[in-house]
Amino acid sequence: MIRLNNVVGTYTTQRGTVNAVEDVSLEIPRGITLGIAGESGCGKSTLMKVLYGDLGFPLALSSGSVDYGFRDEHGQAVTSQNIQKEWFKRISYIPQSSMSSLNPVVRIRDQFVDFPSTSKNKAQVLELVRSYVQKLGLPPESIDAYAHQLSGGMRQRIMVAMATFFRPEIILADEPTTALDVVVQKGILLLLMEVQQEMKNTIVLVSHDMGVHYQITHKMLIMYAAKAVEYADTDAVFGQPLHPYTLMLTNSLPTIGDDRARQGLPGHPPSLWNPPQGCRFAPRCPLATDRCRVHEPPLVEHQPGHFSACHYAENVPELKASLDQAPKLSDIVENAPMFSDIVGSALKVDEVAQ
Amino acid sequence: MKVNHRLLRGATLTATGASAARRRLPKLNLRLKLGITILTVFVLASFILPFFTSVDPSRQGTYLKNLPISGRHLLGTNSQGQSIFWFLVFAIRNSLMLGVVVSLCITAIATLVGLSAGYIGGWYERVAMLIIDSFITIPVLPILIVLGALVRGNSSFMLVGVILVAFGWAWGARTVRSMALSLREREFINMARFSGASTFAIITREIFPYVYSYMVVGFINTILFAINTEAALAVIGLSKVEVPTLGSIIFWALSYNALFIGQITWLVAPIVATVLLFLGLFLTSTGYNDAFATRRGVA
Repeated sequence: MIRLNNVVGTYTTQRGTVNAVEDVSLEIPRGITLGIAGESGCGKSTLMKVLYGDLGFPLALSSGSVDYGFRDEHGQAVTSQNIQKEWFKRISYIPQSSMSSLNPVVRIRDQFVDFPSTSKNKAQVLELVRSYVQKLGLPPESIDAYAHQLSGGMRQRIMVAMATFFRPEIILADEPTTALDVVVQKGILLLLMEVQQEMKNTIVLVSHDMGVHYQITHKMLIMYAAKAVEYADTDAVFGQPLHPYTLMLTNSLPTIGDDRARQGLPGHPPSLWNPPQGCRFAPRCPLATDRCRVHEPPLVEHQPGHFSACHYAENVPELKASLDQAPKLSDIVENAPMFSDIVGSALKVDEVAQ
Repeated sequence: MKVNHRLLRGATLTATGASAARRRLPKLNLRLKLGITILTVFVLASFILPFFTSVDPSRQGTYLKNLPISGRHLLGTNSQGQSIFWFLVFAIRNSLMLGVVVSLCITAIATLVGLSAGYIGGWYERVAMLIIDSFITIPVLPILIVLGALVRGNSSFMLVGVILVAFGWAWGARTVRSMALSLREREFINMARFSGASTFAIITREIFPYVYSYMVVGFINTILFAINTEAALAVIGLSKVEVPTLGSIIFWALSYNALFIGQITWLVAPIVATVLLFLGLFLTSTGYNDAFATRRGVA
């Protein structure tokens, strides 16, 4: 189990310091896939950096701690202080841009054995690498190629292979499928799931794609303006969210056959330089009251295993029901004969397709 | 998925097959072939021929003065009674040795300083850049002339090499540093760091392969620079002129008015040899650049 205790990730800039991750406390059970979602700038990637232990200027872990739940070879508990020694052995990282994550002028195999090699015998190691790569659905000779000779999907598979070769306990994947087409995305995600099934490692996955989260994660952490706002099983996050932000986020996703009109969330996330007092989501929240604008809600367990940082978590299902009542496109069409021809025929096509 | 997989496999097979073929048989272009041929002839001739003579070519009065070209003296003898041919052979050997040694030192220093300054950054980079920029702004030839005047006649051949290294490394260092600077921000460097590689490992195993082909070209060009500068110094008499080099032959030829006393070969032979040597080095450097550096999409 990975335990995050009141983690605060701070960037030092010329204007002063800014907390990109504030007060996040979590317990991630072993062997699950945790998805982290939220809009750009909410602290997802910073949280990943903190988790990975990549704490160099300008980022610092200004308070709190991360306990990885295992011990190093000297029997000491591994925390943010010494996780760097375990990089790619027990914790590894799959980068966002597989296109540029491989050295273009070095053959793949030479980049593979760049990694701290456990055996002096290079040929033997290469044989292992070849068979491992083959297991991950790549031709074994692909490691003899240069990066530009492989397709995007193959490169990302190579990255997955490098990251998982030493059977790490924890894999961090920062948007591993961005810039890949859907078919390849699916392949990579299935590969990650297979790897996890075999090695039982914990995967932390950052993605903007809620569909990806829905399909492969077991638990989800929703972040908003550097804070964790909801942490629950993925089904609960999509089915019965207990935070208005999560609700608005999942409600914005279109599904086939659902033609309800969708409302955008007005406003912007607050600046982290000068976050508002109280709940950071209050200025945009339909449920917000004066209490929200003064007192900051803590992340508490409202239902077993379902954490939410909202004073009115119990009112969120009600809000969800009212959003479900939103007018349907087909109703609007009936009242606007001008467009009925166009939309009507579109609807008919839809029926045929079904 | 399976069909797809087979397609992918076929694609890589041809890709790696092509690259393997290219590695086995590097495509030598005409320039590279010509350049290497010229260099091979010069290197072999100047390093093997000295074993076939017992005469010290720089000793004066070994032969009669100003002999014409003959079977015994391939290029005649000069006004000091030395065989021009043997003097030239030793001169090419010495110039080449000086050029290669100086260039090795310069390339090593430039790469070391440039890579570390570019990758490590911070105050280390600022100090390194201050020194590099100072050496770049100091005009080399005037300094060399002043230095040469100070040690006139007493400078050793070694000292000339040291001076050339001291004034030759800065340009290369600046270029390599700017390459390292851009590489530092690439994702694959980050990835190498994330995989636990040390700074030293990143510089040697990730950045070095990237700048390597540039350095080979730089190395050849620096040989040119070293030979050229030494020759320039020798011509004006500021090098160790007793040691046969391409420059010192010209110095002696000029000071004995070779052109006016009809000793054309004394002056023309070293000039032709120098031009040929430069041509060989230049063709090799540009030819290499064409054949290898662009191979993996690195200009």
